[in-house]
Amino acid sequence: MNATMQKAILASGTALMLTMGAAQAFAQEKTLTISVYALAQDEYKQLVYDPFEKICGCKLVVETGNSVERLAKMEANKANPVIDMAVVSMADALAASRAGLIDKIDTSKLANFNKLYDVAKDPNKDGMSVGYTFYATSIAYRSDKMKIESWADLLKPEYASHIAWPNVTTNQGPPALYMLGQALGKDTPDLKAAIEAVGGKKDEIVTFYEKSSQLVQLMKQEEIWAAPIGRFTWAPFTKLGLPVAWATPKEGQTGGMNVMIMPKGGKKSELALQFMDFWLSTDIQKALAEKFVDSPANKDVKVSDEIANNLTYGEETAKSLKLIPSATALDQRAGWVKSWNEKVGQ
Amino acid sequence: MFQNRAEALALALPAAIFAAAVFLVPVVILLSDGFRNPAGGWTISAYIDFFSSPLNQAVFLRTLKLGALVTVVSAVIGYAAAFAIVNLEPGMKGKVTGLVVLPLMISPVARTYAWIVILGRTGIVNQAFQALGISDVPLRILFSETAIFIGLLQLFLPLMIISLISALENMPKDAVPAARVLGANWFQVFWKVILPLTKEGLVVGGTLVFTGCLTAYITPAILGGSKVLMLETLMYQQVSVSNNFVAASVIAFILIVMSFAANILLKRVATARNKQRRAAA
Repeated sequence: MNATMQKAILASGTALMLTMGAAQAFAQEKTLTISVYALAQDEYKQLVYDPFEKICGCKLVVETGNSVERLAKMEANKANPVIDMAVVSMADALAASRAGLIDKIDTSKLANFNKLYDVAKDPNKDGMSVGYTFYATSIAYRSDKMKIESWADLLKPEYASHIAWPNVTTNQGPPALYMLGQALGKDTPDLKAAIEAVGGKKDEIVTFYEKSSQLVQLMKQEEIWAAPIGRFTWAPFTKLGLPVAWATPKEGQTGGMNVMIMPKGGKKSELALQFMDFWLSTDIQKALAEKFVDSPANKDVKVSDEIANNLTYGEETAKSLKLIPSATALDQRAGWVKSWNEKVGQ
Repeated sequence: MFQNRAEALALALPAAIFAAAVFLVPVVILLSDGFRNPAGGWTISAYIDFFSSPLNQAVFLRTLKLGALVTVVSAVIGYAAAFAIVNLEPGMKGKVTGLVVLPLMISPVARTYAWIVILGRTGIVNQAFQALGISDVPLRILFSETAIFIGLLQLFLPLMIISLISALENMPKDAVPAARVLGANWFQVFWKVILPLTKEGLVVGGTLVFTGCLTAYITPAILGGSKVLMLETLMYQQVSVSNNFVAASVIAFILIVMSFAANILLKRVATARNKQRRAAA
């Protein structure tokens, strides 16, 4: 090998390394950092993250955690946002908005925006968030042991000692109290009447649950006959081999919604919007629905009855949801816990 | 001597720095939250607020009561079990001690969930009660102080037994026979011979059990739930739901004080008996 050849090889090798380095640097530059709940991440990766990375030629960095942690992190990085988009609950979105952490979302750049159910389009009526999934909260009950036509039926003397009620500290707690208040005809934002009614039965009620996963076990060993639950935990109850039904109380169902938000001063808003649009698209929402990850907020998604049975699905359901307004939730939360602890906790 | 001391200090330094950085400093920061006045300066108003709530008072007393009860009952059962184990043949002793330790190797979550099945309305305890005619209707045991007591006792009894086994093994072999020969009955043997000679094991076991009861979260959360709050579950509620870090810091401080107080108290009881003995002699 002569010297010229050696030089040529060396030069091309160096060039190759340089381009590789550049490609790496480029890939590093085009990243999108998202902040999501730590749930069903395997499914999300397969159905949302990986396909999106292929389309955008970018890298998704996924941060997970519960909403308290993730909001605290957003607050800490307020001056220089680390994430480009986040998914949080409706009420947390309003909290982030009040704290000046998030920006309005330019929905004109979301091609799928008009396919969303009305309830999901602008949940907090401030243009700061877009709903991507919602869930109904109603009552799972033993249809052979009881009849549930109203939220107030749960507190009937013959039933109260066979029910679990969501603790006020859970996501299901306040909505369930909200509906009980409506059933009692006293639906004030402080939920006073409902909390007092539950407090009056506290010795009879089996438990005030914190983790819905516990309820399946309690239902199975007939410790309880009924409990208010979120639709997303419904599927395991249908597999118990017991006659468990989903109630449609006359006051309606309640529930919650998760929304997408964008941090104020985010540097990659175009890419973030592209990702959000992808997530809201009919195909992706359908794929997530079929794996029971998220109920679709996109009304064009059509699924089989069997799948729909495990989701919060359809125009009718979406319209029947009575959600607690985010402002009420934020302003009253501490008060609810306080009066709950006074009437129920003691 | 000084050189040794310096060497010892140098050896301890890395661990000390590590502990200070990742444990002491965060704890001090955490606890200082409870004494900080939002307007500046220091105050104990958060503590006054905490103890002026009837709910918090009830939770504090319940935690103290259950902790003390579990400690006392585990000491009683623990002495009997440890005494029996120490007197086994060597081969058997190892096996039985292994059995005592075994539950410690199972996740507290799994153990506690098992109690939900056992203590439920259709569980074996209620089945047995009904079969024996003790009760006509299934008793409500779950989500009560009784359930938490049972769960905590099962969780921490092994710690007491192990502490007492090692204490009993260090006791002079002929102390008990000597006492018997001299005419002491079993109660006197225990009270005047075994207890004084094993008090250190009791202090260690008691501190472990009581502190364990104060720090156990899973057991009171699953077996008591929010219906029967303990300080640990209340603290979780304050942090994760009410976002009230000041109240949580107050509870953390109370729990730390309770742990130290229990340790000091147990040591006091032990040394007081010592003095008494010396005075009597």
